[in-house]
Amino acid sequence: MEQVVVKKTKNNQSFLQKVYRSRVLLLMCAPAILFFFMFSYMPLPGIWVAFVKYNYRDGIFGSKFVGLSNFEFLINSGKLFELTKNTILYNLTFIILGNLLAVFIAILLNEIRNKKFKKVSQTVMFLPYFISQVLVGILVFNMLNYDTGFVNGILSSMGMELWEPYSDPKVWPPIIVLVYLWQNTGYNSVVYFAAIMGIDAEIIEASKVDGANCFQKIRHIIIPSLKPTIVILLLFALGGIVKGNFGLFYNIIGTNSLLFPTTDIIETYVYRATMADFNFSTASAVGLYQSVIGFIIVVTVNYIVKKIEPDYSLF
Amino acid sequence: MKKKMVAALLTTSMVAGLAGCGSSANSSSVATESTGTGGTESSSTVDSSDPWANVDTSEHVVITYMTTGDKPTGEAAETLDATMEKLNAILTEKVNAELEIYYISWTDYLANYNLTLASMDGTVDLVGTASDWLDAWPNAKNGAFLELSEEMLQTYAPQTWASVPAENWELCKYDGEIYLIPEDNYAQWTNHGFIYRLDWAREAGLEDGVHSWEDLTEYFRYVKQAYPDIIPWDSDGTQYSQMAGGWISSHSDFVSIEGLSAGALWGGTKDDLYTVYSPYTTDTESLVEFAKMMKEWDEIGVWQTDVLNNTTSTNRDDYRVGLVAAEQHHTQTWTDLVSHTPANTIYDTDEDAETGFFYFGEETQNVTALSITHGAMAVSAGSQNPERALMVYDLLRNDPECYQLLCYGEQGVSWDLDENGMRITPEGYNSDTQNVNGMTNFWWGRNDDLEVKDATRNWEAIDALYAEYDELKIEYPYGQFVANVDNIQSYISNISEVHNNYMKQIAYGKYDGTAEEIVAEYQEALKNAGIDTVTEELQRQFDELYK
Repeated sequence: MEQVVVKKTKNNQSFLQKVYRSRVLLLMCAPAILFFFMFSYMPLPGIWVAFVKYNYRDGIFGSKFVGLSNFEFLINSGKLFELTKNTILYNLTFIILGNLLAVFIAILLNEIRNKKFKKVSQTVMFLPYFISQVLVGILVFNMLNYDTGFVNGILSSMGMELWEPYSDPKVWPPIIVLVYLWQNTGYNSVVYFAAIMGIDAEIIEASKVDGANCFQKIRHIIIPSLKPTIVILLLFALGGIVKGNFGLFYNIIGTNSLLFPTTDIIETYVYRATMADFNFSTASAVGLYQSVIGFIIVVTVNYIVKKIEPDYSLF
Repeated sequence: MKKKMVAALLTTSMVAGLAGCGSSANSSSVATESTGTGGTESSSTVDSSDPWANVDTSEHVVITYMTTGDKPTGEAAETLDATMEKLNAILTEKVNAELEIYYISWTDYLANYNLTLASMDGTVDLVGTASDWLDAWPNAKNGAFLELSEEMLQTYAPQTWASVPAENWELCKYDGEIYLIPEDNYAQWTNHGFIYRLDWAREAGLEDGVHSWEDLTEYFRYVKQAYPDIIPWDSDGTQYSQMAGGWISSHSDFVSIEGLSAGALWGGTKDDLYTVYSPYTTDTESLVEFAKMMKEWDEIGVWQTDVLNNTTSTNRDDYRVGLVAAEQHHTQTWTDLVSHTPANTIYDTDEDAETGFFYFGEETQNVTALSITHGAMAVSAGSQNPERALMVYDLLRNDPECYQLLCYGEQGVSWDLDENGMRITPEGYNSDTQNVNGMTNFWWGRNDDLEVKDATRNWEAIDALYAEYDELKIEYPYGQFVANVDNIQSYISNISEVHNNYMKQIAYGKYDGTAEEIVAEYQEALKNAGIDTVTEELQRQFDELYK
């Protein structure tokens, strides 16, 4: 039925007429379009800065063209592989664990019958998302530092050996993942919770009539209905898989080079190396490198998804 | 899908093209159209009435001066405002301009400093800068500073022009253009070392005080034992480069080239100044010894266990009140801490308190005098009023009234003269709120001709050390050398990164494994990052300049 309507309008109306018809929808889209245009498309020509020797007075387009020499820095460092690996592995963990946990929490929330308790626990989980990364870094430091930290305070009062996390690179991947989950799960679960709310109540009623128990309901109704949401969110997240969470890593690890083998991501490395020399060009070169890799990954994954389940792909 | 993607790419590139046309037309504008105005004033001094009689100053302008430092707040800000009002009254009368201060706070100061310069929007006119600690040359090369032609300096800053000797102007040139006005008439020493409690060193059995790194170890060990509540040196994690550099100069004749990278990794030796090498790759044994000693310090507990995550430290203020036993900084800081000033309350609470200084290089008598561009003033290329900025600077640097207002504050409020003509603090002075000297941070044109000696300083100790330095010192030999790093920048970036990461662990004794292993690993990483390539290139540029 809908398809027929669309076809008809296509035939009879000019572009302007269509615009007029959907003016309300377009108006609602306008802020988002404007936002992306201003902050994502307008700065695009600035990519040029990655190929010049940037000079303040000549500006981006007046500076001398130097080809790919700004990329040399990344390759020369010999760390490109390790950095990319760290970045991708962390992000992969964040995406997988983050989404699983968010789905899990959303399902739990859905099962809670007490309305007040539901609201309170949702708010409590939501809250960390709004805490600035700087504060999170300070919180972590105050929990874990050797001399005056909370954890060591407890350990020493129990007469146990003190823990030295800031001298041990191995313990940081789990700590960082934990902090990330603590901060983001509440927020992420909202989307899934909303999706669950959107499931047709009739199906659930019907399952009850058929005698499905709670777990069967989750297994056969809720999770399958969440699948498209999960896939789309996953695809969005994968686009940023080479973009590290700078705020999180920088504030928690800071400049403690002892921990870098397990915690250095592209962003933090570039920050240190280019802020010291203040080189916009190399920083942009790295940004471009990340965008290109991210682009390739999204296109590939989308292609795969499309092969398996065409309805779920982004484009 | 293919079609769609191609379409998307095409759209993107089109939008990109469009936006490209729109932007770009910023910056440039005010370059050097300045010199034309006014007659050709013959240098200065003779015409004492008004050197700028021919300069059009009909429009009242605000000159913003950018300095590192934290913006004063509360009562301190009120004191500063009152002082600035006085100063601006004079500046308005003389050159119809007033001065404002733009602060780059100490947190991440270098990044913020460079960022402010890069924006080039005319927010700042005069820029306090330095070739060794504030990226003066990289910024000059990036086009952040205005070229100061000789006519311009003669016309708008005649007294400064006359007082700086020609050979010093030479040291302020890059590519034949003057970019910096040097602070070349101000005696100070900024070679680093350890400031420590001389009285406690004596208690530790070091009768003449600390004179070597080994003495320091002994001193720290004693302090930790005798005064368990005191953190011997509550360092933050940023002092590693100074420590390593200090160790090197204390154990070799190395003279470093400044302003290349944070670590000052390259240089020559006192006997052979113009052969470039990096002791960090050659002096392996010395570095191993350093790594061992620092591990020992770490085990003694000289600093806090998590020192590497500590980015803010109040160690210096803690020293003033006796909460720590040492401070690592330069001689200029020692001249403050050694003196019984109102802020240094250790001398009030503990009659025996005395402060000593162990300077890096003492053991090998390796001391290099300060380069004259350790403090310098530049004019921003984005400045709307470069001429007036120079006029204001000329007054600040050479006019006694302006100089004293800016550097010391109001006489009778922030400072006063005693019967010997020395500077004292007046009755009721509060160093927290009335220390204008600590607010204006004018380190870019201090002038010994106008300085009033501070009576609270311990001149006996200071003069003795300065005399010792004067005997030992060599002049900074590379003042003329501004390296062209275009081809080696990516190597230098990576080398700094390697140096920072490893040296942090070495200098705070926080490495795993043995000292030999970590040093070997560090040197290997330096090699891989291309340190030899950089050394070669620097040698080539040295040969061009000095041979």
